[in-house]
Amino acid sequence: MPSNNIKEEILCTRNLGKEFNGVWVLNDINIDLEKGEIHSIVGENGAGKSTCIKILSGVYTPSKGEVIINGQRVRFNNVKESEQHGIRTVHQEINLIPFFNVMENIFIGTELEKNVMGINILDKKKMAEKAEEVLDILGVELDLNKFIHQLDVSRRRIVQISNVLVHNHNVIIFDEPTTALDESGRRRLLEVITNLKKQDLGIIFVSHNIEEVLEISDRITVFRDGKNMGTMLKKEATVKKIVSKMIGHKSYSDFKRKSVKGKGKVIFEVKDLNTEKLKDINFKVHEGEVIGIAGIVGAGKTEIVKAIFGIDVVESGEFYINGERYKPKPGNSVKKGIALVPEERQEQGLVLNMDVKKNMSLAYLDQWSRANIIDLKSEKNITEKLIEYLKIKTTGPDQTIKFLSGGNQQKVVLGRWLSGDFSLGIFDEPTKGIDVKAKEDIYHQIDELAHKGKGIIFISSYLPELINVVDRIIVLKDGKVVDEFDPKQDTETEIMIAMLGGNDNNE
Amino acid sequence: MNNKANKTISWLEVLRKYGTVIGTVFIFIIFSLVIDRFFTFRNLFMLLRQMSMLTIIACGFTFVMAAGGFDMSIGNVTGLVGMIFAIVLVNTSNFWLSLLVGLGVGLFVGLINAMLVAYINLPDFIGTLAVGSIAYGIKMLLTKGNPIFIMNPPEIFTFIGQGYVGAIPFPVILMLVFLVITIFILHKTKLGRRIYAIGGNTIASVYAGINVKWYRMITFLVSGLSVSIAAIIMTSRLNSGQPLAGENFLLDVIAAVFLSTTMFGEGEPNAMGAFVGALIISMLNNGLTMLNVPYYFQYITKGMVVIAAVMLAVVMGQKLRVKF
Repeated sequence: MPSNNIKEEILCTRNLGKEFNGVWVLNDINIDLEKGEIHSIVGENGAGKSTCIKILSGVYTPSKGEVIINGQRVRFNNVKESEQHGIRTVHQEINLIPFFNVMENIFIGTELEKNVMGINILDKKKMAEKAEEVLDILGVELDLNKFIHQLDVSRRRIVQISNVLVHNHNVIIFDEPTTALDESGRRRLLEVITNLKKQDLGIIFVSHNIEEVLEISDRITVFRDGKNMGTMLKKEATVKKIVSKMIGHKSYSDFKRKSVKGKGKVIFEVKDLNTEKLKDINFKVHEGEVIGIAGIVGAGKTEIVKAIFGIDVVESGEFYINGERYKPKPGNSVKKGIALVPEERQEQGLVLNMDVKKNMSLAYLDQWSRANIIDLKSEKNITEKLIEYLKIKTTGPDQTIKFLSGGNQQKVVLGRWLSGDFSLGIFDEPTKGIDVKAKEDIYHQIDELAHKGKGIIFISSYLPELINVVDRIIVLKDGKVVDEFDPKQDTETEIMIAMLGGNDNNE
Repeated sequence: MNNKANKTISWLEVLRKYGTVIGTVFIFIIFSLVIDRFFTFRNLFMLLRQMSMLTIIACGFTFVMAAGGFDMSIGNVTGLVGMIFAIVLVNTSNFWLSLLVGLGVGLFVGLINAMLVAYINLPDFIGTLAVGSIAYGIKMLLTKGNPIFIMNPPEIFTFIGQGYVGAIPFPVILMLVFLVITIFILHKTKLGRRIYAIGGNTIASVYAGINVKWYRMITFLVSGLSVSIAAIIMTSRLNSGQPLAGENFLLDVIAAVFLSTTMFGEGEPNAMGAFVGALIISMLNNGLTMLNVPYYFQYITKGMVVIAAVMLAVVMGQKLRVKF
């Protein structure tokens, strides 16, 4: 909604949309950004925030609609064109050069030169002056001669921001800038961003942390399923209002799992787990039980998986499976009966240039072999059976896995474990980026496994599916277990608020 | 899909799988036509005997590269094993002891490579290059750069490099045995499957519970073993430990194994392809020598073959897995 004060609109979008393979991941987005304003965009994973940012910064071209900058209609074909119009993004990943000092990093790509006897050489004096000027604007003191690797994350962010400021800029987009920051770093950074408002520019702020969004924004826009669910002024916004807009009433999937009656014996237990990221994690998984782990990005969900399976270094903690203590190391964990469907299907799950059967047999190769020689015939037969059982769309066991769709690839990773006999199945974001049908197939498989008496840990950043599938939800925040919910009684809003860490002070 | 499109695709497919093999046959025919003495039993057996050492090392290297690794030490280690083998043989006159020591040295260097690269995580290229340099230094220090001649060698020693079984030179038999075992291990066993999985996606292999370090270590041990066997054949053929012998193997082996990735549609290093690759290199060496092309020109052709092999691999859409 346009506000009443007459302010200069620096950027707006009209009916902006983006389509991938017939799916509108972003649709009819209208946003206005005024000079001197911090406008936040919030939404769940997959709500369209990053697609929107990518269109504004020229990574994607829009499928429809337009972007208007200072009253002028523009269309970016690449990042460079967007930058020429002064749109700069402070990316979530910090892409600085570790062995360059602060000043050199600030001026990457815009080095100032002076001419000495016909030769252009770097003008360090001028760069130092300009850098100090920029740091002054930000209200930060920073030694220009320090190397990046000597700085903490928040100060690296500040170097990143300074780099943006020495270029031409109309609009600065912050994409999750407070990720991986501790409390003091977060304070420092939010202050810096607030200081920027005095400059002649507009700020778009994207964050998962609703509290900080409420603190620094002038206006807040909520995205859901690629649509703009409405923009509110800071004074009208509350955590509850935002969260309910984020969640909405989704028609999502009809799947609703009935939990297996009664709790069996304990299949898995972790005691006092501490790692670099996790603090004092304790929980149990019973026979036939599906537990869900919820939390925002960076809360430590995947880190729990990595600790249990033995990929990350564990500082302290005890792990038990079927009552026996085990040492988490990938080979040993598999041997003791842990199966893992990892989060990144292509990077962690599959050998992309191998075929379906070889990916299928990878984990339990012992069972497919006699005297260390693989029984190629039964490998093929069992794979064929699993393809049929899991309804995997493929030309057959010999098809190279990279030609399968995401959902079918995921089923192969799942099938890999179904060919053996595990006790604890860990599913880390198993439905990420796959279609609804494949999602439901995966839920059914999880249900089936629970009925067979296996313990399941289901990790997802998408609450509705956790609520539908699991028996109990553990909520993580900043590496700690903050709460536990019963999905049959507690509401999505309550769980979401626990995840976001809001005690709703604005109400 | 209509038939026409299918046909074009299948032709491309044939070319993709067997293009390099067809090229090899082509070179063979050209040489046979141009050089009188090329297509004779005598020369062909000589060619096979010449390439036996190259093929054996290339098989070992295929293990390493299939797991996504690289071994720069092979050339210098061949020389080192040859020297130590010769020294022990001359001093003890005990063939079996020298054989044991020779194989042991190769395995030991393989173990050092594995420790540095798989366990301490040095980049393969740097770690094995440094080990190769150390091997070079040791072999030169041992003899101050002089060759060691083996007087009155035991019969069995001479047989290894120079003997015949029927009409077939013994090194060729060794080569074929090593080749068949390599193909079997890489394609039929758990070990081979896991090695390829690690090369294809190391992280996914870890997540499937595979002990990546262990298997990478095995590949370096196999490489060390193959180098030892080749070095012992070489010492027997030369009847002496030559300090500079085996230095050329490095580039030849790299060329052969890179060529292998362009063959049989595997898109991965494979032993059969390495054999054909070794054949190409040896044929070029043999043919060009017979054509009286100056010896040093061979370095130029080999360099070009390596470039062509790698380019071909890239054009065929394989990402290079070597970590530098």
